[in-house]
Amino acid sequence: MLIYILTGGLTGVVGAMLGIGGGVFLVPLLTLALHVPIRAAVAASLLSVIATATASSTVNLDRGLVNMRLAIALEVATSIGGLGGGLAAAWFTTQQLFLTFGATLATMGALMMLRSKRRNVIADTSVDPGRLGGRLQEDATTYVYRVKRLPLALSASLVAGAVSGLLGIGGGTIKVPVLNTFCGVPIRVAAATSAFMIGVTAAASVFIYYARGYVDLPVAAAVALGALPGSVAGAHLAQRMEARALKILMAVVLLLVGGRMAVEAL
Amino acid sequence: MTGRIEQLEDTIEAALKAGLGLSTLLLLAGLLLGAAGPLRWGILLLMFTPVVRVAVVTVGLALERDWLFTLVSLFVLCVLALGIWVAVHR
Repeated sequence: MLIYILTGGLTGVVGAMLGIGGGVFLVPLLTLALHVPIRAAVAASLLSVIATATASSTVNLDRGLVNMRLAIALEVATSIGGLGGGLAAAWFTTQQLFLTFGATLATMGALMMLRSKRRNVIADTSVDPGRLGGRLQEDATTYVYRVKRLPLALSASLVAGAVSGLLGIGGGTIKVPVLNTFCGVPIRVAAATSAFMIGVTAAASVFIYYARGYVDLPVAAAVALGALPGSVAGAHLAQRMEARALKILMAVVLLLVGGRMAVEAL
Repeated sequence: MTGRIEQLEDTIEAALKAGLGLSTLLLLAGLLLGAAGPLRWGILLLMFTPVVRVAVVTVGLALERDWLFTLVSLFVLCVLALGIWVAVHR
């Protein structure tokens, strides 16, 4: 049981730091290393995503890092994507899904690495952030950011939701890099806003998994119990890291996960 | 406007903390005692926490008379309700 708590704790730390659910690590860890059946692993992962989202949001809301209007707008796209993904699952083979998803993640990782020095924030506080933009306090400086390319953010969220419904992993790995690299959202805000949303994305499908009897109660409970303190620690840790270091960590995670998925498909 | 958003954020935070605290206690008790009852309720409570969160946001935005975002949030709540409905009636 301790090993499940530790696994949940580790994925909680990384998941909360980067605003991803951690399902991309948790599902393979549970299935390959701990031999949990795939559906029970996906169900435990969805519950751990909810735990991570909830626990890290209590920290991030306190710090004013969650952009609520942006989250609500994008939640529409992820929830529709989640439903659509569930329905479309039959049209694709797992191999096609893994290859497409893996290649997309790896590309995003490479792009993030290349653009890690660019900053999205403006130090001039007289700039109007617009209805979806916001302000960000970093040390003694207040920064302003504006949300650019909203249709792209919505499309990315739709895809993220669909991927979540198809593969049972959180969509943070798509949303966070797109929001940060193309839509002008600072990495901390992108991660905190994504973490705020992923609980809802997971909640869209977790009830179906529960009703089908896929939730292995002790395994899911242990993983979620580990994820709770892990994600609070992750949220605090992210606050102390430089924005650039967070971007590079995200890029490395994307390259590793994308590469692993592509290799698995080939 | 900003003050109200902060107030709403505080309410959301309180709701999330309440859901987490109670489900953590139930899950811990279930694991330590090896009892399925508390485990089941702890998991269910955890599952419902994001749903309650969306409901709180929807009501908060309505109180703020931000109708566009109230409508958007209500839509998200409907999608979640649809998920629960499918789960119950499958």
